[in-house]
Amino acid sequence: MRYVDEYRDAELGRALAAEILSTVEPGRHYKVMEVCGGHTHTIYKYGVDDLLPESVELVHGPGCPVCVIPMGRVDDAIAVAMQDGVIFTCFGDMMRVPGGEGTLLDAKASGADIRMVYSPLDALRIARENPEREVVFFAVGFETTAPSTALTLMRAKAEGMENFTVFCNHVTIVPPLKALLESPDLRLDGFVGPGHVATVVGARPFEFIPSQYGRPIVVSGFEPLDVLQGVHMILRQLAEGRCEVENQYKRVVPYDGNPQALRVLEEVFTLRPHFEWRGLGFIAHSGLALSEAYADFDTEVRFDVPGVRVADPKACQCGEVLKGVIKPWECKVFGTACTPERPIGTCMVSSEGACAAYYNFGRFAREKVAVS
Amino acid sequence: MTVCDDSAGHCITCSDEAAPMRVVELLDGSLARCVDDDDAVAQVMVDLVDGVEPGDTVLVHAGVALVRLDQEALVS
Repeated sequence: MRYVDEYRDAELGRALAAEILSTVEPGRHYKVMEVCGGHTHTIYKYGVDDLLPESVELVHGPGCPVCVIPMGRVDDAIAVAMQDGVIFTCFGDMMRVPGGEGTLLDAKASGADIRMVYSPLDALRIARENPEREVVFFAVGFETTAPSTALTLMRAKAEGMENFTVFCNHVTIVPPLKALLESPDLRLDGFVGPGHVATVVGARPFEFIPSQYGRPIVVSGFEPLDVLQGVHMILRQLAEGRCEVENQYKRVVPYDGNPQALRVLEEVFTLRPHFEWRGLGFIAHSGLALSEAYADFDTEVRFDVPGVRVADPKACQCGEVLKGVIKPWECKVFGTACTPERPIGTCMVSSEGACAAYYNFGRFAREKVAVS
Repeated sequence: MTVCDDSAGHCITCSDEAAPMRVVELLDGSLARCVDDDDAVAQVMVDLVDGVEPGDTVLVHAGVALVRLDQEALVS
């Protein structure tokens, strides 16, 4: 496939692995965080970690939007979905995320009208087709996904839709990265930056990582060669004593992002004072709500949303996994009580969650083959 | 197009993934009919990319084209 196959070439991968091996300093241990769940998925699907020297450890970050949704928000979603006359729409993964009182799939089995959609535009179509019903869209995702919700809301407003609202759970990537960098229990050497978030916001918002925290970041694409090259660029910066934002994914990411997308986000959303992240707690200015101009389309304004807070199950260690403090297989319930079929924690739900990536690609423990 | 299908390698709607799609036809209201490599068809919002034309390849996430993929820029 064009734009894809050329970034999966095994020979080039081996050549990059050899360059990485010659770049690492003997005796030094490197901890590199891939921020985005898409990178985690690529790393385990293609075995990218097996091409890295033992001294380069990949730490999985909080960039899976499904994984960071706290249980209370799922319970809030179910409470709305169970109300009379509501058609509740959401992306497929969210249907299997457990709240304190079960999942949206369980609620659907109990009779709630919950439908999976591919895009918020599908939810708007359902609203047009069902003018007598209230249609709610469960919006999740980082800055990559928020423009889709924003453009859909702009269409809904232009059409004067009165039966369509959005339960907004969009989040932004910079505040949790700051929280991680401030965290005393995690020492990182560099970041593989989120390529598709950067198609919207650009690489510039990540400049604080080198300037304030002295760590390099390389915005990277999602094919295996992209990730390998991203890691190599980080190691090269460290070897040369440099510390800056580099853009490995130039074929897609403009340094200043997509100005039209930033404009629609500005118009439709406003920053919440605080938003709760699974495992990370409340983080200031990290979540988006609908702006005043779009209040008529805000589920939290139109419906009675209980605002539930639920503590994570004691056995589940998603929080530590999301902070990169432990590996998925170190969690007590990984692969036993918690599997993709019956997840306890969110990291096991989405295909981009670190636990699901490990489980689906057979990484039940850290068994590495030395690269020679 | 599948959603949350591990065999496809990614979930284009729920996470930070995006898929290349070819624009087949421009529709009213800043929409376009696009196909992916498996010939699955989707209606995509093209508000955020200037001057999209049939034949262009765009990177699509959750029903929105985020950027046009440029053949020349691929040589890197």
